[in-house]
Amino acid sequence: MTFRDTFGLALRNLNQAKLRTALTTLGVSIGIASLAGMMSLGVGLEEQLTGRFTQSGLFDAITVTRQAPRFAGRGARGRGFGPRFGGPARGQGPGSTADEPRPPLDDATIAALAALPAVREVYPNIRVPVGVTFDQADDFAMASGTPASARNEGAFQSMTAGTFFPDGAADVCMLTLDFLKGLTDKAPADVVGQTITLSYATSPVDLPGMVASGAGMVAPDVPQSTLLCRISGIVEREPGTLAGAGLSGVMVPLETAKTIDAAISEARRGGAPDGTPANTRTYSSLTVRVSGAEHTQDVEDKIKNLHFTAFSIADALQGAKRAFLILDIVLALIGSIALAVSSLGIVNTMVMSILERTREIGIMKAIGGGDGDIRRIFLVEASTIGLLGGAAGIALGWAVGRIINFGANIYIRSQGGAPGNLFSLPLWLIGGAIAFSWVVSLIAGSYPARRAARLDPIQALRHD
Amino acid sequence: MGTATVRALDGISLEVAQGEFVGLLGTSGSGKSTLLNLIAGLDRPTDGSLEIFGRDLAGMSSAELSHHRSRNVGIIFQSFNLISTMSAVENVGLSMMFAGVPKATRDARAKQLLDQLGLGPRREHRPRELSGGEQQRVAIARALANEPELLLADEPTGNLDSRTSRDIMGVLKDLNERVGKTVIMVTHDASLAQQYAHRTVTLMDGAVVGEAGA
Repeated sequence: MTFRDTFGLALRNLNQAKLRTALTTLGVSIGIASLAGMMSLGVGLEEQLTGRFTQSGLFDAITVTRQAPRFAGRGARGRGFGPRFGGPARGQGPGSTADEPRPPLDDATIAALAALPAVREVYPNIRVPVGVTFDQADDFAMASGTPASARNEGAFQSMTAGTFFPDGAADVCMLTLDFLKGLTDKAPADVVGQTITLSYATSPVDLPGMVASGAGMVAPDVPQSTLLCRISGIVEREPGTLAGAGLSGVMVPLETAKTIDAAISEARRGGAPDGTPANTRTYSSLTVRVSGAEHTQDVEDKIKNLHFTAFSIADALQGAKRAFLILDIVLALIGSIALAVSSLGIVNTMVMSILERTREIGIMKAIGGGDGDIRRIFLVEASTIGLLGGAAGIALGWAVGRIINFGANIYIRSQGGAPGNLFSLPLWLIGGAIAFSWVVSLIAGSYPARRAARLDPIQALRHD
Repeated sequence: MGTATVRALDGISLEVAQGEFVGLLGTSGSGKSTLLNLIAGLDRPTDGSLEIFGRDLAGMSSAELSHHRSRNVGIIFQSFNLISTMSAVENVGLSMMFAGVPKATRDARAKQLLDQLGLGPRREHRPRELSGGEQQRVAIARALANEPELLLADEPTGNLDSRTSRDIMGVLKDLNERVGKTVIMVTHDASLAQQYAHRTVTLMDGAVVGEAGA
């Protein structure tokens, strides 16, 4: 018996019990829709997150910090921590001891790291606490030093209003949209070009654009310095910061931030500037930019070999991907419940069908139908239900996903978030779900098919 | 019920020559239908041997038995056993489908057989649209489709009136005499068997109790 004939007979049988076929197929499609919908949610959420990572554009960035100090009591056994916790850098021998070098992050280090191959730029991450006064409103912010090279970042290509810092200017700043909203009701476009006052606790330092002042956000007995700067632009989100990390709100040129930082730390050391040369200043962290994302891992390893702690977004992304794998598995298991129930529906339908067609099976066997022929007819029937149900389920899952996504985005927008695709249906998921539905239906159909194939023809012919 | 073996046939010895028309006579429960089912390969003997065309059916696998049913024998039932959802042509074609005959050949041969049996204009009809005699003719066409040597008829006229019965018996006699098919027919009607068969074998309680003719 050819496959074409088997298929023809199977279709004919399905067609004769249209309602039952339709209901069983609907059951399978609901099962597949729930499975595909859940998987689609997992994939969609993952894409949302990795998309945010990618948008931040910092796959070529490595954050370098000092290694954590190692205490004498920890010994060799205590060093199994990840790089974030200052564990031993790769390539260190097991015999290394507590008196390993912990090089500082100073300008000499910046120069050394900048000399590494494939490194494009190295700059310190400076965030200084400042009081912000604008239009009679006071606020507090962390001003972050932004290098001139950042003008090419995606976030500064499409600014809400204004432009990036003009070249060489020191007394300019950019604000994030959220920070501006907290400060004033004025429209972003109206604010650009106006002057904002940044104040910080220090002894008076002779700086361009800086005026000594006795009042501000901090205790009045602490000498205050203020910096009047022009707002050059408003950006929707500070680049390079992940959700939760970016409280800064104010961006100033890197050199300006260095100056403010120096002034603040001198004030902490107890008063007047002592004339410490700039090149002995140390930083809490550095950012190393490599010439391409493909060099990130390589450079990261080299930096670790220099006894620094290095961390890149690629590391975080890897951890996130692992977490999403678990989420996907959990979602798939939940989604499979409906499919398991619908596969029982296939078994039920096929068993019913065999009962109804017992005599027909007997006739087929009597005129030369082999056990294999009969089994294949029923398997093809079951798998046709599986394929149809799979395809319909994908369509159903997609439609339900769209509806939920639509509703969720209305809510997200009302909460001030950026709308996105919570559900994603890549081709592999479509193909995989239909193939899975087919396999499940074959498994579900195998018992009824075997039962049909084993029917005793004489008994079957007596059946009414 | 239970698992005790019912000896439907016991110590039967029967030889049928090629081209013969044999009538198996007996009351219900005599074992005549069981014997026919064994010859058809629908049932397997628990003991003994059953050689058809030089091959022992008792030792065949189920795949070999279905091949035997497909190619060596054609079966005609009292209740016709046509598939109610298929037309006459499709019913005849079904046995060829299991034999792996391509659709075009199948359709052509089914039409030819139905024409020969006088059902040309009725070939697209479904069984319920055909009379008993017509249905039995479709069944005969189906039995002939794979050109078996041996036709097995189980009370072929049991559900038919006497005039139609004579028609159907005429067809079988014709197939035996003119086409040379060997026919084994089970019936409880002794006069019918004596009228058409070369030889009659009477069974009672699973044993041969009489032979006549030839």
